[in-house]
Amino acid sequence: MPDRMPDRILVVDDDEDIRESLIAYLEDNGYRPIGAVNGRHALDLLSDPDLRPSLIVLDLMMPVMDGRAFREAQLQSPLLSNIPVILISAYDSAVGLAKSLGIGACLLKPIDPDLFLRFIKEQRRVPS
Amino acid sequence: MGGIRDYAIFSLDREGRIETWNVGAELIHGYSASEIIGRSNSLFFTPEEVAAGHPHALLGRAAAQGRVDEEGWRVRKDGSRFWADVVITTLEDSQGQWIGFAEVTRDLTQRRTVDVARRKRQEDLLRSEERFRLLVEAVQDYAIFMLDPDGIVSTWNSGAERIKGYTAAEIIGKHFSLFRTEEDVRAGACDRELAMAASDGKLEDEGWRVRKDRSTFWANVVLTAIRSSSGDLLGFAKITRDLTERRLLDEERLRRARAEEAVRLRDEFLSIASHELRTPITSLQLDLFGMQRELGDSPTLGKKLARATRNVDRLTALIESLLNVSRLVHGKVELKPEAMDLSQAVAQVVDSMRSQVVKSGCEVALDAPESILGVWDRLRIEQVVMNLLSNAIKYGAGGAVKLSVFKSEGQATLVVEDSGPGVPEPDLERIFERFERAASARHFGGLGLGLYVSHEIVNAHEGTIAAGNRAGGGAFFTVRLPLKTALGEV
Repeated sequence: MPDRMPDRILVVDDDEDIRESLIAYLEDNGYRPIGAVNGRHALDLLSDPDLRPSLIVLDLMMPVMDGRAFREAQLQSPLLSNIPVILISAYDSAVGLAKSLGIGACLLKPIDPDLFLRFIKEQRRVPS
Repeated sequence: MGGIRDYAIFSLDREGRIETWNVGAELIHGYSASEIIGRSNSLFFTPEEVAAGHPHALLGRAAAQGRVDEEGWRVRKDGSRFWADVVITTLEDSQGQWIGFAEVTRDLTQRRTVDVARRKRQEDLLRSEERFRLLVEAVQDYAIFMLDPDGIVSTWNSGAERIKGYTAAEIIGKHFSLFRTEEDVRAGACDRELAMAASDGKLEDEGWRVRKDRSTFWANVVLTAIRSSSGDLLGFAKITRDLTERRLLDEERLRRARAEEAVRLRDEFLSIASHELRTPITSLQLDLFGMQRELGDSPTLGKKLARATRNVDRLTALIESLLNVSRLVHGKVELKPEAMDLSQAVAQVVDSMRSQVVKSGCEVALDAPESILGVWDRLRIEQVVMNLLSNAIKYGAGGAVKLSVFKSEGQATLVVEDSGPGVPEPDLERIFERFERAASARHFGGLGLGLYVSHEIVNAHEGTIAAGNRAGGGAFFTVRLPLKTALGEV
């Protein structure tokens, strides 16, 4: 567990159970997660500098704005483009898509909880 | 009588010498009276007939019978021949004494020419009709026959006999409703068919027809109305072809296409369903992990949570195996070959499955005395070994399980034997198929999918996998992998 202010992690997933499970699991492991129900919602939250996270956990298939559109919008914004992303998906094809979107980490559902934590430790940006 | 021009009329004495001569005789034979009177009538015959004694014989017959007539060639003065109608009668004097013959000859050459031509035409026609009849009769692939205007069979060919089973003697004179099903007959199909052919000139139909033995066949039928030049309906020509085989082929093709479509839909469903299952499993897994952290000291809750976690793991493994199948269905197995030792890989799998083996109560023995080196996809090969070993301990009923690794006929060979009930003989061929229906309930649990996945992996390595039953009971599975690879023999 980090000994300073815990890292904020934005969890973007339209499935409420998954979102809440991810948030609870991250809280259990000493992070400060917040949830967004789709890409649009996530961008809204990210416009508030106080809520800016050190890592984004992103689902791919969502209504309103999906993971790919969100990532493209994120890369357009100098303030947001450096925030690392972990893509989670049920589809194997997500691995290739993650690569093409410059996303360093992709986890396929069902997510191995230990592996998930390891990925977060590796990917999260140390807040400046 | 002397002036008659169309007939040669003359008299002969008893020896056949000419005594009188008329104008007609001069015109037909070419001799004048002065030239011919007193000469023998054999002058009028062809040399062949003279040589054969025909002139004398003819007169002899006339003398004996009182009259003789014949048609035949005669020779004119100029040597040309004409076709003659000849009548010879005996002549008697007033006392009834035979004194000679009267002969009347007509030149029929012209009529004969016309007759010959007409006869030839008739013969040609008959010959051609005969040829056509023989042709129709000989046709084997088509039933070709005639119906009278009421639908009574009047001719029959060998194709009809072959297709419908009746001989000509059996069917000629019978009504063609014999060829229809009872339902068709009741529905008035026969009358309707004839009426339509009569009004439209021709009718084509496809449908079931009935053979003599009452079996049915799928027929293509063409019925043509035959009319006289004045338009009277003489009957119908009927040509029937047996298309049963073609129809069965069509049906088989359709059935296969439907089956393939069903498989495709099922695979698509499988893919979507297994992907969809991944999401709630993730949620479950994470929450169970979280609960375990908060557990505290409750031993019963701990047991329940452990059980829930174990079952989530089982669900996860099951979904993974479904996805493996889904991947195999949607694309080829892509191999990542590397140099490896099969014996070592098998030993590692056996080792990693130690706890399952212990739980099953099976005794597992490994016979892998030497390194078997080759270039294969390590993870995939391990998956095959794992599937076969899982099967063996699952169906091995706590008995002995033996894995042997050796080289045989230039191939790396793995044999997995168990002491279970064996595989039912009829299933041996198909247990490597996906979702084989006979045992589908088991498949999702493991057997079918595992064997199918193994089969696909071994195939991708250009190897073979086979199953059999041991003489002493139990099943065996043999995997053979080529030692030679793209990199050469390792």
